[in-house]
Amino acid sequence: MSKMKSVKIDRRSFLKMLGWGGAGTALAGCDLPTTVTLEEGKEEVVSYLMPEEYVIPGIGVWYASTCLQCDAGCGLHGRVREGRVLKLEGNPDSPINHGKTCMMGQAGVQAHYNPDRVTSPMLRKNGTLQAVSWDEALSELNGRLGAVSGDRFAMVTGTVSGHQAVLVSALMEQMGSSNHFAHETINARVWRQVCEDMLGDPMPRLRLDKAQVILSFGADFLGTWLSPVHMATEYAKFRSAPRGMLVQIEPKMTLTGGNADLWLPARPGTEGALALGIANFVIERGWNKVNVTPNVRRALAEYDLPKVEEITGIPVSKIKRIASLLSERSPALVLAGASAAGFEDGYESVAAAMLLNIIVGAVGETIEASAQFPEAALLARQGSTADLIKFAKGLENKAFDVVLFANTNPVYTAPEALGLEKGLAEVGFKVAMTQFPDETAMLADLVLPLASPLEDWGTHVAAYQAGGDPVISVQQPLMEPIHKDVRGFGDVMLGLLKARNKEFEQFADYYAYLKTAMLNMPGLADKDNKNDAAWNNLLQKGLLSAKPAKGKLSIKAHTVEVAGYQHSKEYPLHLVPSARLGLWDGRHANIPWLQEAPDQIAKVVWDSWAELHPKTAHELGVKNGDIIRVSSASGSIETQVYIHKGVHPDVVAVPMGQGHTAYGRYAKNRGANPLKVLNPITDKKTGELATHATRVKVSKVPRKNILVKMGGSETQMGRPLVRTVSADQFRRTEGEG
Amino acid sequence: MSFKNILENFSKYRRGAEEGGHHEYEHRWGMAIDLNLCIGCNACSTACYAENNLAVVGKDKFEKGQAMHWMRIERYWDDADAGRDFPEQGALFLPMLCQQCGAATCEPVCPVAATYHTPDGLNAQVYNRCIGSRYCNNNCPFRVRYFNFWSYYESSWPEPLNMQLNPDLSVRDKGVMEKCTFCVQRIRTAKDKAQRENRAIVDGEFQTACAQACPTGAIVFGDTMDPNSRVTKLWQEHEVERGPYTSKKPKQNAELRGYRIFEELNVDPSIMYLERVRETEV
Repeated sequence: MSKMKSVKIDRRSFLKMLGWGGAGTALAGCDLPTTVTLEEGKEEVVSYLMPEEYVIPGIGVWYASTCLQCDAGCGLHGRVREGRVLKLEGNPDSPINHGKTCMMGQAGVQAHYNPDRVTSPMLRKNGTLQAVSWDEALSELNGRLGAVSGDRFAMVTGTVSGHQAVLVSALMEQMGSSNHFAHETINARVWRQVCEDMLGDPMPRLRLDKAQVILSFGADFLGTWLSPVHMATEYAKFRSAPRGMLVQIEPKMTLTGGNADLWLPARPGTEGALALGIANFVIERGWNKVNVTPNVRRALAEYDLPKVEEITGIPVSKIKRIASLLSERSPALVLAGASAAGFEDGYESVAAAMLLNIIVGAVGETIEASAQFPEAALLARQGSTADLIKFAKGLENKAFDVVLFANTNPVYTAPEALGLEKGLAEVGFKVAMTQFPDETAMLADLVLPLASPLEDWGTHVAAYQAGGDPVISVQQPLMEPIHKDVRGFGDVMLGLLKARNKEFEQFADYYAYLKTAMLNMPGLADKDNKNDAAWNNLLQKGLLSAKPAKGKLSIKAHTVEVAGYQHSKEYPLHLVPSARLGLWDGRHANIPWLQEAPDQIAKVVWDSWAELHPKTAHELGVKNGDIIRVSSASGSIETQVYIHKGVHPDVVAVPMGQGHTAYGRYAKNRGANPLKVLNPITDKKTGELATHATRVKVSKVPRKNILVKMGGSETQMGRPLVRTVSADQFRRTEGEG
Repeated sequence: MSFKNILENFSKYRRGAEEGGHHEYEHRWGMAIDLNLCIGCNACSTACYAENNLAVVGKDKFEKGQAMHWMRIERYWDDADAGRDFPEQGALFLPMLCQQCGAATCEPVCPVAATYHTPDGLNAQVYNRCIGSRYCNNNCPFRVRYFNFWSYYESSWPEPLNMQLNPDLSVRDKGVMEKCTFCVQRIRTAKDKAQRENRAIVDGEFQTACAQACPTGAIVFGDTMDPNSRVTKLWQEHEVERGPYTSKKPKQNAELRGYRIFEELNVDPSIMYLERVRETEV
């Protein structure tokens, strides 16, 4: 204790003492200042040979937190050694990810230690962003917020939940504005609407583990849909004896499609017609488990199989086979994802898939009511592109004077046709709360550097709850901030609230607020315990389960009207802006591990590419690595060709994620961004961007690239490296379950 | 081990798989990788980068085949799809990493004994003994040895990315061969802990980084000498035995899925794969 000159409990040590629950024993009675540095004016500098009390040199300690690499809400354990977080693993207690992680979760540390973080507030002066102090930044911001009235203030975030959602709502309330926009490009907005309308539950639980056959219309549940790690853990049960069967219908092979027993591309946008055709055949043969109203029956009868073959391009024999499988292999589960939902009639297509679920008796068997988290204020405000479009409309109407962006990069993700950049130029004051110098931050007037998720406090309620009791997952800092001039999202928001309303001053910081709020949650035992046992237990476990608000499903089958297929002479091909587990919507393009990780299907690294069917490539006269120009009515992009059979011949698929014009050394000026050239077509019902509806033409550019990808050979060349056996054989040897 | 010792006792250290392999194994770490469960998602390979200080080489060096992915997911298109318009049975995914062969072809060709067999059944690589002849790389049928053509520490971890480096193992420099170690640092930690607590290692008390991350549990890691380990049981269930191909007995049930890649080369791999499964009725 001799090194102690002055004993004071500053905020940091207070935070650390209570926050690092996993190290309860090492911390006991610790009220020392945890850092003794020259900067603080302390006389004694303590050598690292005398470690700080909470550090045991050479011993890694694991702390629980929450992954924020996407919005699935997986629980994490972070390995901390000598005050640094080194490795992330899944939290085995989390019902969402059961101790597992995906590649993006693993790469969370590279987002955190990224060399291109924003490290100090920046204010635009004379046209350029210049580093300023937090005091100056906040006084400028508070001044601007004070001068703006009501709905002239807008806030744009990604999916936000837990107590951060409470802070956002509180700020919107204080500002008197209803213009909070939550934007995510990769979302399940249409699916949710269909589930809500037809089942009375927007996020029903999907029992992949119980299903014997899954028919998926472009739902990439292993890669990018709803809760990928959770779905993959359930998929493992689905594939274990007696082994369910997966049929995937989509225009471009996704990771899930790569694992299908039967993969077929329907003509883009005709998934709905295919679902109705299957439904019609199921009822015709009397295989349906649930009867439909005469209205629905009549509407379905229009979809006789030859007609469906004509619309979709899927042969009658295959349609019959799929239909019979749904009844033979009961219980079935029908899913619909981005490539079904991404059209003007996307809602109808997804509804057609849901109708099929109802008819084959999946509802109640493989689709169950969700166990909803009981605290409505903490539920996820889920992002969508409909919100982005609304925001763009507002910009067009010059409706906002001050816009606050937090953890979102719409300037990158918004199609050019939405005119976001032009609209933003008219906004008086734009603030970006971000960790990285992204495209949106580059346009902002004020940039506030946020702490990384591994440096910050938070709570998260996943929109897709995995069954059992719903959980709220706690995010705690795994280390001190690397850069001392960053602040947590909650702390910044709370500061803005304090400046508008004295009531918020009862909380010293977001940590104090969070702790108070969590200790008031029902279900926390010994909350009166003076030793903070309840709080420390919560932090050790990383999550709190709550008694669910039990929902129930009520089926409302209605008729579905899908549009027919329209050919286009001028723009003969469809652009599929495919989502990658890895770069996601482009937010992970600044992570070197994820840039170097080969795409699961194309195996290309560090660039964009356009996937073409050999037939299409032959017609265009292009080979692997040739550069093509993909032009829509809204613009064009250029990228290299990768040819394989896992795309529909009418499709050119360009993955999202690259084509950044900013965002740090790993992301900037690399590849092309297909989102930019999307036409502003929306799903009629939900207003979601119809991501797959853009028609394009492709022309050859007289340039060539060397396609950099993993693996020289596309096939095994007859070598039995991966051997395949039949499912029948599998069932003979490994049982029927 | 002195050079004299190596010369004098060469036959003892180089006993072939036919003669029972390395004498007196303490453990024989092995794996079972189920290709029915593997979805090819890259979680394992990214976890490997995080755990093992693997260098990111960038596009140009990747093109030259210099990527350092100790664990990679190979993707093949099915030969059966050659005559079809579409790959109707999906893709073939193969997690490929060092097979820690019992009779490893990489070992005897090393001129300086930088790669050798440990009493744990691992092909160890002694970085500071390696002179970079790359003979081992040439001789590996699985192509899972990776050579440091450059000093990646100069470019791969610009500050503060370097703060993530795992202090339990080194960062390798130019001129040195490296490869999957079955997360030997985790093995070491677990062995030390068990020794301190005066007990044997319990199956499942630690895993390799790839097995721990794998969302579908396709990778099972453990000690194939521990009769109660999950991996041993899987090997037994699928009638796959250690030892050279030449003394391999036919399976009693030929339909069981276990196999070892390139077993016919007599290298005695420590990884058993379970065959991929597809419905034929569609």
